[in-house]
Amino acid sequence: MQNTHGSERHAMNKRLRNALKGLTSPDPERRRRAMEPFVRATFETFIRYLYRYLGNEIECEDVLEDVYADIWEKPDHLRNIINERQLLRTVYLYYMRKRLREVYKRINRNLCLSQKNLMNLIAPELGVLEILSQSELQQALHRMLSRLKARERRAIELWMEGVSNRAIANELKTTVGAVKMLEFRTMLKLKKMLHEYCGEN
Amino acid sequence: MPDTNREIQELLVDYAETLRDGSIPVFLKSLTHDEAKIIAASREFWDATEVVQTLNGAGFADKAAIPNVGLFISRVDAKIASRLKQAKATPPPPSRGQARTRGSGCKRNTSTKPATKVEKSTEEQI
Repeated sequence: MQNTHGSERHAMNKRLRNALKGLTSPDPERRRRAMEPFVRATFETFIRYLYRYLGNEIECEDVLEDVYADIWEKPDHLRNIINERQLLRTVYLYYMRKRLREVYKRINRNLCLSQKNLMNLIAPELGVLEILSQSELQQALHRMLSRLKARERRAIELWMEGVSNRAIANELKTTVGAVKMLEFRTMLKLKKMLHEYCGEN
Repeated sequence: MPDTNREIQELLVDYAETLRDGSIPVFLKSLTHDEAKIIAASREFWDATEVVQTLNGAGFADKAAIPNVGLFISRVDAKIASRLKQAKATPPPPSRGQARTRGSGCKRNTSTKPATKVEKSTEEQI
């Protein structure tokens, strides 16, 4: 699903379209049969999307299992889907968010962060960046990273590679505290740049 | 994360690190009341988390091991089967018309219990 490019990304392939048709059928057995092609067509995109908020494949799989079962049970929201982006947004808003909210709800019961803030952290509202598809987002990020100062770009690139802040500090010949501040400021800068990019496009 | 008086940039970086490592509970558990308040009040924190999550999706999802789809489909099917079984085991909810007539019956049933209790207690008093 994420391999589509250009104008094709707006359309849905025939297989997914047929699977969606079967999924919105009133017959539960037909919906069950339609689930396999639907999962095959969407699994990678959905798990990648969930990974944003969980960063953990096992939890992503568990959440996604419930999401697909919820879709099978109540597929009403998927009735008038016309393209893949709309499908992802709808699935996130009506199915993923509900399940994401439940992931850490139980452990947070005795913690300091309010449930509302936890929800904002784990299952946020769709932001402006959501208007971009995965491939567009990657292109935009690539462009934004190239517009950063060398030091800022290096810090973010190393961080994205999974390098620890201490190692980044060693690489940039500075302190861990300075690296944290640099990363924070760069994230905010990236946010501003990405918003401008979304506005332009 | 032993530091308990973290500033907003430290909180953001710690969140980003735990998200990257797939261990958000560690971050949640590390938060103190004051830090939770700082987070709640900071617009910058929420702005930065959006970028962190986007970077996490773009950067790390490629490195993540995508599980076997075939195996996953069988998990989903088993889940659907269990929900089907559950749905068959529990009778479907009554339609509105039925619910009204049944509802009134239920009301009568439920109201009889306390009524008999009241009757009994008054009988005892007498």
